[in-house]
Amino acid sequence: MVTEATSPEFLAKLEARGVSRRSFMKLCGSLAVAAGLSELAAPRVAAAIENSVIGAESGKLFPVIWIEGASCTGCTESFAQGDAPDPAYIVLEMISLNYCETLSAAAGWSMEEAKEQTIEAGNYILIYEGAVLEGWDGQALRVANEPGTDILAHAAKNANAVVALGSCAVNGGWMAAHPNSANALGVQGFLKKQGIDTPVINIPGCPANPEWVTSVLVDVLLVGQLPELTSENKPKVTFNQTVHDNCQRRGHFENGEFVYAFGTPEEAAGYCLYPMGCRGPMVKANCGIVRWNRRRSWCVESGGPCIGCCVANPDNPGENWVETNTPFRARFRDLRIGGAMVQPEAIAWTVTGILAAALVVHGFGMKKAGRTDGGAPFEKEREWDMKHPNESIGIYTLDDNSKGGN
Amino acid sequence: MAHLAHYKQAHPLPMKVTHWVNLCCMALLIFTGFLIHFPFWAALTGVARGVHVFCGIILVLNCIVRIVLSFLLTSSPTGGTRNMVRDFKTYLPQADNKHQLIPWIKYYLFIKKDHPLSAKLGVPQKLSYLFVCLLIFIMGYTGFCLWVPTASWTFFAAGTSLVGGMMSMRIIHYFLMFVFICFSMIHIYLVFIEGTANAANMLAGKEHGGLVYDPERHCIIGEDHSVDAH
Repeated sequence: MVTEATSPEFLAKLEARGVSRRSFMKLCGSLAVAAGLSELAAPRVAAAIENSVIGAESGKLFPVIWIEGASCTGCTESFAQGDAPDPAYIVLEMISLNYCETLSAAAGWSMEEAKEQTIEAGNYILIYEGAVLEGWDGQALRVANEPGTDILAHAAKNANAVVALGSCAVNGGWMAAHPNSANALGVQGFLKKQGIDTPVINIPGCPANPEWVTSVLVDVLLVGQLPELTSENKPKVTFNQTVHDNCQRRGHFENGEFVYAFGTPEEAAGYCLYPMGCRGPMVKANCGIVRWNRRRSWCVESGGPCIGCCVANPDNPGENWVETNTPFRARFRDLRIGGAMVQPEAIAWTVTGILAAALVVHGFGMKKAGRTDGGAPFEKEREWDMKHPNESIGIYTLDDNSKGGN
Repeated sequence: MAHLAHYKQAHPLPMKVTHWVNLCCMALLIFTGFLIHFPFWAALTGVARGVHVFCGIILVLNCIVRIVLSFLLTSSPTGGTRNMVRDFKTYLPQADNKHQLIPWIKYYLFIKKDHPLSAKLGVPQKLSYLFVCLLIFIMGYTGFCLWVPTASWTFFAAGTSLVGGMMSMRIIHYFLMFVFICFSMIHIYLVFIEGTANAANMLAGKEHGGLVYDPERHCIIGEDHSVDAH
């Protein structure tokens, strides 16, 4: 069993970048965890890096194309806030970012050419950030004289896999919320329509956590396989448990200690934010484990109830996190009735209230009709029987045995 | 005194038990359900979740037991008689019910003055009880779609996906609870509005004298007050 990185050339390369062997092994540990392995697998990861194209003396880096769809570039910004700068630098060195609107130094035709060459060569990963806009024939995202939808279809066709980065890329995100005038949808839904069967890895979030991207890249580049995915094609290691499952305020939830209003002693005590509309129990993501902004904190830790930004069903743009979770502070989403937004509670209580009032009124009617003491006197004969004496159900007189009982 | 006589045979003991289980479970489920939706009584919320899941499972099982019992046991087909038939037949259309839906509706709308003749269960009553049976299963299904240990089972996850996710499922579950509440309100109202004899018979097995009904002739044939306490 390999227990340490031994290649002197490789270590020299690391040292040239100001990375000690110790911090490299630390990186391998976090990469192992990111890939869903135990930290004990760090030596295996180290060996994998050494032996991979990354560690090889003259190896070529794994090409990545990063395309901005209808995005705010927030996921790129988030990715740039990855933990521990040195390893992040190495992670960026692990790949050859051949095209990226935000980060590429080149611009214009030369950049488009680089992209085209990468696509032709194949064996690359496509990272697509932001929603796919089918509206206006894809012209809303026209770049380099090509409609945005064509750009995605073209780049996805030859890719080993497409990483749909951020909730917008997964199913249109907030752009797919009502009325969705741009016909936004996610990468997976779009590729399915186009008949392109390149595997899609969905990483929702608004924005996506940098570690979620890293973990996928580690899987693909080091382990050499796509990560294990949920039924929604989201990496299991990240999206198989709810935010609630790994929340540090969970103890307060179990104790029944809640924040009912901001600015209260309960809030100061760090109690559970469930009554404030926290979506943690119904949203699957490991935010509480990876945390955000260089692992400094995350929404719930900093006092903000989860707004469920990772809710994104890749097959249903209507099930996007904004549509399903607003208003964020209420326990339910609003329902749209005509042009009005109404809370389900209001509808339920109104209907029930009307029924209760109707029963009270009816009760007075029953009282007035003298039926509250055993009901009204029974009819002597069924109304129908009276009108249809030959087909009568009841045998009301004993000399009439020929009828009845049907 | 226009009641039919209330005899024990209308609701044999096992049916009284399943009815009590339904009553207790639904009351607890509604209370704990509100508590889970919003923790208005913070200290009880932890317990509420356990009670809710427990009562939900019991309610579904109880419904299954009740259906099975209806094929195994007998009960009287109408009020005012000690005759017995297979219990499930009292939930299906009977000759005594025939053509009586409209008269029932007219009676409750005060258009018809006299009380319609009926089987043990009137037409609207039968329809609503069968509906509640179906509702219990649908409610159980939506509950299991939301309960974490079962939510990821394909059978439940498919339903969640179909309705548009967890939030939609929660709202459906919530609305269905109000269907139970509305049913219970109407049920309790109709049971008690014409007196307490029905409830006393179902809940405590208390017999009560009244008119005698012949299920063979489908009409009232006399009066029996021998069971009344003196």
